[in-house]
Amino acid sequence: MSVGDLVFTLLAISALLSTMATVLAVLAKDLLKAIVFSALQSVAYTLMYFLLMAPDIVLVYAAVAVGIYPLTLVLLIKKVGRYE
Amino acid sequence: MNSVIKALAFTSVLILAIVALAYATSSGGLGVLPPESLRPLAITYLRTVYNPENPKFTAMAPEAVTAILWDYRGLDTLFETVVFYGAIIAVLTLYRETYRERDILPLKGLSIVVKRATAVTSLAILSVAVATALHGHLTPGGGFQAGAIAAVAPLVMLIVFSKRFLSDRLSHVQLLTMRNLGLLGLGLTAIALAIVGFAIGEKAFIFQNQAKEMSKLSFPQRILGVPAGGTLLFFNIFEALAVAAGFTLVFMVLLSSEELSRKEIVGEEHGY
Repeated sequence: MSVGDLVFTLLAISALLSTMATVLAVLAKDLLKAIVFSALQSVAYTLMYFLLMAPDIVLVYAAVAVGIYPLTLVLLIKKVGRYE
Repeated sequence: MNSVIKALAFTSVLILAIVALAYATSSGGLGVLPPESLRPLAITYLRTVYNPENPKFTAMAPEAVTAILWDYRGLDTLFETVVFYGAIIAVLTLYRETYRERDILPLKGLSIVVKRATAVTSLAILSVAVATALHGHLTPGGGFQAGAIAAVAPLVMLIVFSKRFLSDRLSHVQLLTMRNLGLLGLGLTAIALAIVGFAIGEKAFIFQNQAKEMSKLSFPQRILGVPAGGTLLFFNIFEALAVAAGFTLVFMVLLSSEELSRKEIVGEEHGY
């Protein structure tokens, strides 16, 4: 297996992972779980950006996807309630 | 049971759609990717980004993305930055009556274990941010990335240590000052050579980095023997400072207690 094949296989895996995470995030009734799934989808996207050789985007996307975005949304559901 | 089947059907339809799109793209549905006509452009960038033998056109920074962002299309990036600071000003305007007030929240926070762990990781996050800002012109990264990474540390601290803990140590005046210093630095770096050129009667441009055919003025190519990319190092440092301070300020304002936030919306139903 060449490096290119490996990159494309990992890309496919992370794309499928992000799809599943998105579906779970949309379907989740517990908003805290929805945030975790949404963050998982962002992590899969971070991996995809890295595999597509865009490390500049990875740096800002990792900080936003793992840190800023879930934490701000957790603050939001603290104010509006956890269950849909 | 019914909902599980529905979810499975939904997921498999989505996955099928992705696989079909991927197959169409990889078998040449969109033509050759990237298009052949774009390749000379990339080659031009790679030839001029760091090329001491071609001093009239080089940006003297090994990192092509940062060089394009702050040198080749610096004015675009300046206006992007303006949009970001407009958003921060909008948040402060929404909370204009209460963001200066001291919050009544208790100094509680999470347990001691979480607090100690957060203290260590915050330091690590901040070091990564500083490294990203200072190496932005050498390795992937840059001002905005560094600012976003740095802003994670105060956000985690706000949740783990409580808002009062941070706002007692880092007031909104200090954060606004940091942000304004960053913005001032960005503006001054952009016009620095133009000012110097005006003072000594030499021709120079706004957003000039290295010497050009018509203008001999230039930012330092190397600092301490390391390629400095001229303006890029300064732009990255100031942008990181301004973004980190701006994000922290916004998080602090958004985390106000219910009592304080409620003051803002009192009387809204009757109009202003």
